[in-house]
Amino acid sequence: MRGGALPAALLFAALAFALAFAPRRVLFAAVIAASLAAIACSLMPLPEIWREWVFAGCWASVAITAAMVHLPGGVGSPLSIVLAINAGIWAGATLAIAGLPLDLLRALPVLLLVLPAAWLAQGRGAIAIKVIASWLIAVAILAAALALVPTPGYAPDHMQ
Amino acid sequence: MLDRFGRNLTPLIYAQTAQLVARLVWGLVAGLVAGLVAGVLLASPADAHGGTGLTGGFAAGFVHPLSGFDHLLAMVAVGLWGAFLGRPLIFLLPVIFPAVMAIGGVLGMINMPLPPVELGIALSVLVLGGMIAGAVRAPIWLAASIVAVFGIFHGYAHGKELPSAADPIGYSVGFVLATGMLHIVGIGIGAIDHWPIGRTVVRVTGGLIMLAGGWFLFQALGH
Repeated sequence: MRGGALPAALLFAALAFALAFAPRRVLFAAVIAASLAAIACSLMPLPEIWREWVFAGCWASVAITAAMVHLPGGVGSPLSIVLAINAGIWAGATLAIAGLPLDLLRALPVLLLVLPAAWLAQGRGAIAIKVIASWLIAVAILAAALALVPTPGYAPDHMQ
Repeated sequence: MLDRFGRNLTPLIYAQTAQLVARLVWGLVAGLVAGLVAGVLLASPADAHGGTGLTGGFAAGFVHPLSGFDHLLAMVAVGLWGAFLGRPLIFLLPVIFPAVMAIGGVLGMINMPLPPVELGIALSVLVLGGMIAGAVRAPIWLAASIVAVFGIFHGYAHGKELPSAADPIGYSVGFVLATGMLHIVGIGIGAIDHWPIGRTVVRVTGGLIMLAGGWFLFQALGH
């Protein structure tokens, strides 16, 4: 089971954290760009054969976007817009291929994380954003691998 | 309004009031956004459980690192040691660990042969506890390497258990989040290191973690 709002929400969270280190003047434009791209892509009928590629693109985007918080000097204006459009495309595509129409409404509010994140990024809170971004990278690596590897499921583990 | 030097304080009062209001608004916005995000993240796994009969969603993943003392103590120790070592390792260790843990998870999923994972996990508790108890100020490269190696073992254990049938992404989010929060708990405990009594408490905590690690190692060796 995968799909739903969660992959798109995680991608938007990664974007929000990356944009926290972008110039303030570009935030609104980037959020609008991501939203429009997501809406447009979620409405596109995508062939089922693209499913694995769409999820791979989504998880790669989560990892790359989250890693941008470590970019020295933050994310520049052009890169912010590129990241936003890229996130919107992949989020919309995952919703188009494995989501419900309402899932976009559940995922999009996550972009609002950019507000507290940008506020935190001004001071010592930047560390917290970098730590949380590393969690997103971990989830993206695991989720991407899940598609490639049949996992053992509920076999007894080392604690049982 | 004038102060005792005859200066007009009104602009200052306005500015401070505006700053206070701005902080309150930011707090409200942050709370609202956090609520929305929690709604999205917590609602999805519950939906995903529908009809599968399996319990592999966010909640199961979140509980997993908390359900084994070996994992739990190692995660707390990572945060605690980072806090003791200070910048940049206070945030570097919690940044490195999840990423390396994910790589270990992938190794676990593909069943890559590793030395016994139970030994690695027990050793992680023992060594990290020992570092804290001994107030070892390791250089950045060494501390990062130690945490990375142990992260592989913890991730490997999670990866072996990662369920593919019921919302594995929710499960991953859950256990990564719980792991990160345990790091934060460790950092929180380590924050008291600035006071003399706190320093003692931190070292004693490290000693207790080391003792627990010794016990885990004893068990892992089959005794």
